[in-house]
Amino acid sequence: MGSFSRLMQHRRGLAEGILVPVVSVVLALVTVAIILLMVGANPLTAYASMLDASFGDPYAVSNTAIKTMPRLLAAIGIAIAIRANLWNIGAEGQIYIGGTAAAGAVLVLPVLPAPMVPLVAIVAGGIAGAVWGAIPGFLRAYRGISEVITSLMLVYVGIQITQYLLEGPWAVPLSTFPATAPFEPYAKLPVLIPGTILNAGIFVAIAAVAVTWFLVDRTRFGLELRALGGNETASAYLGIRVKGMIVLTMALSGAFAGIAGAVEVVGIRGRLIEGFSPGFGFEAIAIALLGRLHPIGMVAAALLFGALDAGGAGLQTSARGVSSAIVMVAAGLSVGYVLIGMGAMDRRAKRRKARLALSRVDRQDTAATPEGKVAR
Amino acid sequence: MTLDWFSLLLVAAIALAAPLLFAALGEVISETAGVINIELEGMMLVGAFTGIAGALASGNIAVAFASALAGGVLVAAVQGIACFIFGANQVVAGIVLNILALGATTFLLVSALGADVTKSAVTLERLPIPILSDIPYIGRALFDQSIAVYLAYLAVPAVWWLLTRTRFGLALKAVGERPAAAESMGVNVLKSRWAALLLCGALAGIGGGLLTLGGLGVFTPNVTKGIGFIALAAVIFGRWKPVGAFGAVMLFSLVDAFQIRAQALGLPIPYQLLVALPYLVTIIALAAFVSRMRPPAALAINYER
Repeated sequence: MGSFSRLMQHRRGLAEGILVPVVSVVLALVTVAIILLMVGANPLTAYASMLDASFGDPYAVSNTAIKTMPRLLAAIGIAIAIRANLWNIGAEGQIYIGGTAAAGAVLVLPVLPAPMVPLVAIVAGGIAGAVWGAIPGFLRAYRGISEVITSLMLVYVGIQITQYLLEGPWAVPLSTFPATAPFEPYAKLPVLIPGTILNAGIFVAIAAVAVTWFLVDRTRFGLELRALGGNETASAYLGIRVKGMIVLTMALSGAFAGIAGAVEVVGIRGRLIEGFSPGFGFEAIAIALLGRLHPIGMVAAALLFGALDAGGAGLQTSARGVSSAIVMVAAGLSVGYVLIGMGAMDRRAKRRKARLALSRVDRQDTAATPEGKVAR
Repeated sequence: MTLDWFSLLLVAAIALAAPLLFAALGEVISETAGVINIELEGMMLVGAFTGIAGALASGNIAVAFASALAGGVLVAAVQGIACFIFGANQVVAGIVLNILALGATTFLLVSALGADVTKSAVTLERLPIPILSDIPYIGRALFDQSIAVYLAYLAVPAVWWLLTRTRFGLALKAVGERPAAAESMGVNVLKSRWAALLLCGALAGIGGGLLTLGGLGVFTPNVTKGIGFIALAAVIFGRWKPVGAFGAVMLFSLVDAFQIRAQALGLPIPYQLLVALPYLVTIIALAAFVSRMRPPAALAINYER
């Protein structure tokens, strides 16, 4: 998988950088429409009601925004890892650990002035996510084990830790559903616009985008990160401490997922609750790839799937879990088409290069013959 | 903990190992040919789903397993098209296919199978082998299982034979180690890899089907819960050999059976820790032993002529 991250970054051209993802998304939405048709739903009314439920009024827009935030935060973390050619597919577990640590912070902290408690909770979530991400990084760097398998294994361990706390030490007496008691207002991220559910978590998401862009494109750390993504052996010759970088990158990747979980808990849910992430961490992989690891691209992709999720509530078939499942299908399809599109363009470019090389050889042959021009 | 307790542990472990075994053996074949399937989990999940769908539609267990197999092959075919035809990165395509499989099966569960997820399908009956199943302590574990479980164990020597004693198997090995050399010896690399990949899909699909059809006969969202990844780990842990993978699968399944039996014992351990145990053991096993192992040289590298 040597050159994948480079492949993603070198496509800055308009056609390949934007056209392929956009066409892929359109194709994915058409495919979803066909699936909806097959299960007996009218895709046109479905999409219309989804659009209404995601952008129809200020409340709907705020709903889209809060559904975008955790996806975007986790995707940023995943993209950082991919830049270094590391596959953190366990963001879902880091989200659970981060959200759980945030809830833990709320439960231990005393009542403090307004934004203090949720801020500390988010930091706690980031640290916990970093630890959870660093473990597969450590195992990859020092034991040579694929981070793909270990990070995914830790998803299920993380979920069980959340479950244990919710059913054990943090259980609410007489409650039938595993969740903490709702937090007091001082412990939650404030709602920014009355009448909507847009909370201050959006600043966290915006800050994350800015910080990442600066970190990856403008610092020595970013340079080493990208070097690592290009070629591990060459990085070692350049004096980069490869093992340390792998652990650090995975920790950073996990930190963003942890923050995503924390924002979900102190911003949106206002409590720690069983199953608070319906697969954000998995979708985030698709968002990172669809957004071509670019901050703006990922914002667009996260917004798209946030809107689909918010809009899913407007669907007639809205049984539990359906809307987030549709989003996951759309996300998977979009990236699938992107991969195929990129592959097709790659092959075409290679063929063109080969033809060019061949014609050059022909010209040389022609020049070498005494008669000058020889018909082929 | 009596001898009886251990005998029941063995019964559970051998049944739990069967789905993993199908998937791991499929992956051994595929990785021998240089094709990695991160979407092994997705193959199993789709197989588990199409298996139940087939069972509900036909009421016939053979049809159910055939559709589980077809589900796994479908995922494998998509992977093959993405990687072999469009040159997609095998790992990336696999990760994306897992997401797609999770989303699609969850969505279709409600919209196609109907929201009534508690409706159970026909399930696999046990097929005790006369006399042998009466052997004390180990008889029930080894000889009172379903036919699919017997087949899973028979598949271990079968895959070993296939990979080491047939022309096809040797060709796969050549293709996974030095594809260019294999091609010059007259082996069709692409065809061999397609065969290995589809075979893996078929086996993983059956494994996934066994997960639901061999159990309660119900499909729940993400019913595989990382089992496909444990099978991937078993392939590495088993050094890309069928018998090695078998040993690794048995280890993980014993741990899994233990945690299930331990929950029933009511030990003063949080049950969540027990549920997490197989995943933890997988990580620890890999951490302790893997660094000395060498995968097939051309693993996950697409072949271009």
